[in-house]
Amino acid sequence: MPKGTKFKSGYATVTNRGMGYREIAEQLTAEGHKMNHATARNYFLRAMEKLAKPLVEITGDKRTAEEIALDPGFQDAMIEILSSSRKRNV
Amino acid sequence: MKFVSYQQATKHKLLTKQEEVELAQKMEKGDKFAREKLITSNLRLAISIANHYRNSNVPMEDLIQESNIGLIKAVDRFDWRKGFRFSTYACWWIKQSVRRYVNGDSHVKFPSGSRNLIWKINNVRKEYEKEFGVYPSNEEISEILGESVKVVASLRAGMQWPVNLDSPIGGEDGSRTYAETIEDTEARDPGDSLDEKTMLSLIYGVLDRLSAQEERVLRLRFGIGEDDNNTTKFPSTKLKGVK
Repeated sequence: MPKGTKFKSGYATVTNRGMGYREIAEQLTAEGHKMNHATARNYFLRAMEKLAKPLVEITGDKRTAEEIALDPGFQDAMIEILSSSRKRNV
Repeated sequence: MKFVSYQQATKHKLLTKQEEVELAQKMEKGDKFAREKLITSNLRLAISIANHYRNSNVPMEDLIQESNIGLIKAVDRFDWRKGFRFSTYACWWIKQSVRRYVNGDSHVKFPSGSRNLIWKINNVRKEYEKEFGVYPSNEEISEILGESVKVVASLRAGMQWPVNLDSPIGGEDGSRTYAETIEDTEARDPGDSLDEKTMLSLIYGVLDRLSAQEERVLRLRFGIGEDDNNTTKFPSTKLKGVK
């Protein structure tokens, strides 16, 4: 099963270097910050929600920031934006 | 082939139907003189047909040469048993040869029949433009020539003359070239760039406000390492103990 969040249209595609929630939890636990996979997902979705909030305001999307944060399309877009802006700046 | 002037061609008298048949019969028996006689006696016809194409931006000498080639082809294929005059038969071969040459430098290769039709379409177009001051539509041309609209449309599309993109529009006085009017599909729309910049600044603003754990999880989830972000505003990790 591919890594990602199952939601309506499927899974958000993480990059080759991206991790699943379990892997993230394991990594952070190893670094001394005890965390399980559900907490990792909660942190991730909270971050996505924070990113979605200002975009809801400027785009006038009828969905709430919480709903958008769960949308795999939005998550994909965020990955793409952050990755492409990084490439362009190099 | 030697170029034959109109004066030289008129030296040879025209043949009667009976003479044509006799020469053709002799040719069949292998008489080379009869073949030459049939050719030289009809040079006037070849020149006359070539003369119809003098406005096609091709040197007259070349047109005459091509029409002579058509004439020779007609002589070799003439069948006196059919009962027609030689000129009736030859004119089609001569026209075909000249038209093939005139349209020969086209970028799209057309079969002989299509080239003839292109010739007719061009003539209709010129006459129509002369009379009405506008180009005829494909439907009008197809109605005049009795051809299908589809055939006329394809031939008109195929016979278009290529244009140098660097040449000025409207002749030498034009200030812009054709290339300047073509959209650059790969160029970024300034509006889109602005939208993207606005969005990115919003995103980076939010990234700065993420908690240490959120930022770290997001970074791991997206596969964006610390080193990758030296060139972006993505915040460096705030998590204690993490390099």
